[in-house]
Amino acid sequence: MEGSWLYLSAALAVGIPALATGWAQSRIGPAAAAILAEKPELTVTAVLLIAIPETVAILGFVVSVLILLQGGG
Amino acid sequence: MSRIRLLGPTDELQPVLHRIQDLGLVHFVEIAETEALTQLVLTPQQERHLRNVRRVAEDADTAIRLLGETPTLPRRTAESLTLPRAALIAGRTRRALKTLEDRRRQLEEERSLILKFQPFFSTFDKIATSRLDLDGIRIFYLVLRVGSEQELLRMRAALRSSLGEGFELFSQPSASDESAMILAVSTADAQKAEALLSEAGVQPLVLPDQFKEEGAIHMIQRMRARLKELPQDLAEIEVERNRIANERGRDLARIQASLHDHLATIRTMEKAVVTPRAFVFEGWIPSPARAELERRLRKSFGDKVEVERIAKEEWEGELAPVVLKNPRLFRPFEAITRMMPLPRYGSVDPTPFVAVFFPMFFGIALGDIGYGAVLAAVSLGIRFRSKPDTKLRAVSQIGLACALFSIVFGFLYGELFGDLGHRLGLHPIIFSREEAVIPFLGLALALGVVHIVIGLCLGAVKLFRGDKRRAIGRAMAAIMVVLIALALLAAFEMLPGRFFTPLVIAILVAFPILIVAEGILAPIELVSTIGNVLSYARIMAVGTASVMMAVAANRMAGAFGGVFVGLLFALLFHLINFVLGVFSPTIHMLRLHYVEFFGKFFSPGGVEYQPFRHWSPREGAV
Repeated sequence: MEGSWLYLSAALAVGIPALATGWAQSRIGPAAAAILAEKPELTVTAVLLIAIPETVAILGFVVSVLILLQGGG
Repeated sequence: MSRIRLLGPTDELQPVLHRIQDLGLVHFVEIAETEALTQLVLTPQQERHLRNVRRVAEDADTAIRLLGETPTLPRRTAESLTLPRAALIAGRTRRALKTLEDRRRQLEEERSLILKFQPFFSTFDKIATSRLDLDGIRIFYLVLRVGSEQELLRMRAALRSSLGEGFELFSQPSASDESAMILAVSTADAQKAEALLSEAGVQPLVLPDQFKEEGAIHMIQRMRARLKELPQDLAEIEVERNRIANERGRDLARIQASLHDHLATIRTMEKAVVTPRAFVFEGWIPSPARAELERRLRKSFGDKVEVERIAKEEWEGELAPVVLKNPRLFRPFEAITRMMPLPRYGSVDPTPFVAVFFPMFFGIALGDIGYGAVLAAVSLGIRFRSKPDTKLRAVSQIGLACALFSIVFGFLYGELFGDLGHRLGLHPIIFSREEAVIPFLGLALALGVVHIVIGLCLGAVKLFRGDKRRAIGRAMAAIMVVLIALALLAAFEMLPGRFFTPLVIAILVAFPILIVAEGILAPIELVSTIGNVLSYARIMAVGTASVMMAVAANRMAGAFGGVFVGLLFALLFHLINFVLGVFSPTIHMLRLHYVEFFGKFFSPGGVEYQPFRHWSPREGAV
């Protein structure tokens, strides 16, 4: 049972931030596409804005790995 | 850069600009009008002349584009063409080349049309041998996918039930995966046949206009003949174009260059302010070149033209134009810096740091000998197809640097297309990324500390010239990041435990200094900086994802029933992983640079240095 909780918490640690990132990107993406239609010179800024929320998912991934390693998974 | 002011008599305005254009180093700026100094306004006659110059320049541009390759620009000579003569040459050549281009397109279209009908040629041979009387019958040209024999049989049955024996259907598989068919029916049954084909969803090919009036056999004969003639016709066009290029190419290049020079001169003239007798220009010139400008102008105009240096107190550094100057090895990475607005004049150019850290971070994330070699091959391919000093060439050089670091780190991780290297006897030298997640994370965060501390130090150096207190604060933030990192290492016993207490005391001493220097918001800024360091964990995350995907691809080879299918899937998966493995680290490493690193010192808003110089085909109008 303990193992199951470990895996569940690791999955939640990466899953919830990933969902949050996806939600944030779903809001930023269309706005970025709209900007690019009018000002293509802002491509880099648009790509960066889309990449910014990925930090949350990446940190979630790191925490998930740490949970698995600490729990001996 | 030096800010200069040029003063001279109005009647010498154009000759002065020509000398300055020859030197090609002055970046002119617009000056505000005053009561005495007004902007130069073109007369209606000059406006008309300008319109003519633009039109002829457009003709020359179009003609050179139609020639396909830019003719070599002849060395400048005293001899120059008059505008009417240039207009005549550029106009005539453009029209001649346009006619040739239209003819070439027409012939290409004809050839592609005939090639569509080529599969029917051999079918028609069948008709010829079957001695079918083609008078009073309608021919349909059909194309079916090969392998749809059932469809063919069904169509034949449907035709028989509707038309009896009053039709002929000839089919012939073509070289592609299609089968060409000819359906011959009497004119009376044509409508029925058309309806049947429509029901079956088969769209007959429409005859080209030029062959519509001819009989079917004759049409095919003519198509065969045209197919033989067309390469000759196209070659003749090429010969004619080469003749025009030889005869007129150099003239066109000269016209294009001189007219664009002329247009640039007029655009620059509009930046002058004038009195009824004198003109005034202001601009920027690299400081070492100022003496040369003065010497040249004095030689040509004596004391009539004055070059005055505007004292630094009279201008703001932010207004000075910026030129990025880096060693040859680092120059391709200016493309990454240029994706952001240029740094302000006098601030730090981050290109050398980008040139070191970007490919290194990329290599640490991709870290695979196999993928690195593929990336190197792709980059070399782009390099050989690109022209020097273009963006594509810069991309290929950046790609090569990234590939080199990927191969080096692949060797250190013992990775060749994932764990295939282990199976071939390759062993990790530092650690295996598949297992050693924590050391990999530690490496990523350590790099983050180094990168951020360098950024903070650059920020401190930048601030030191103006706001010394904030510069001390920025330096203190750098010291605190290092102290916190060392304290954490001591806490986790990666450093001797006895260091922990002195490090904590040092942090406690540094903290008030930071607040005094940077203000009350300094602690928030420090937390944000530590967050920036943690963001470097993405190097590890992207790298681990890449190696895991590669391992999964290798396991696919054995996971499927057949070896061939498994290998195919493995190759496909490796290909996908390679694309992701290049795209993802690129985006993330760019972000680490632009957001985390540049954020510590970068001052955007620089104006690009665009000196007034002669037009060149590569750089375009200046």
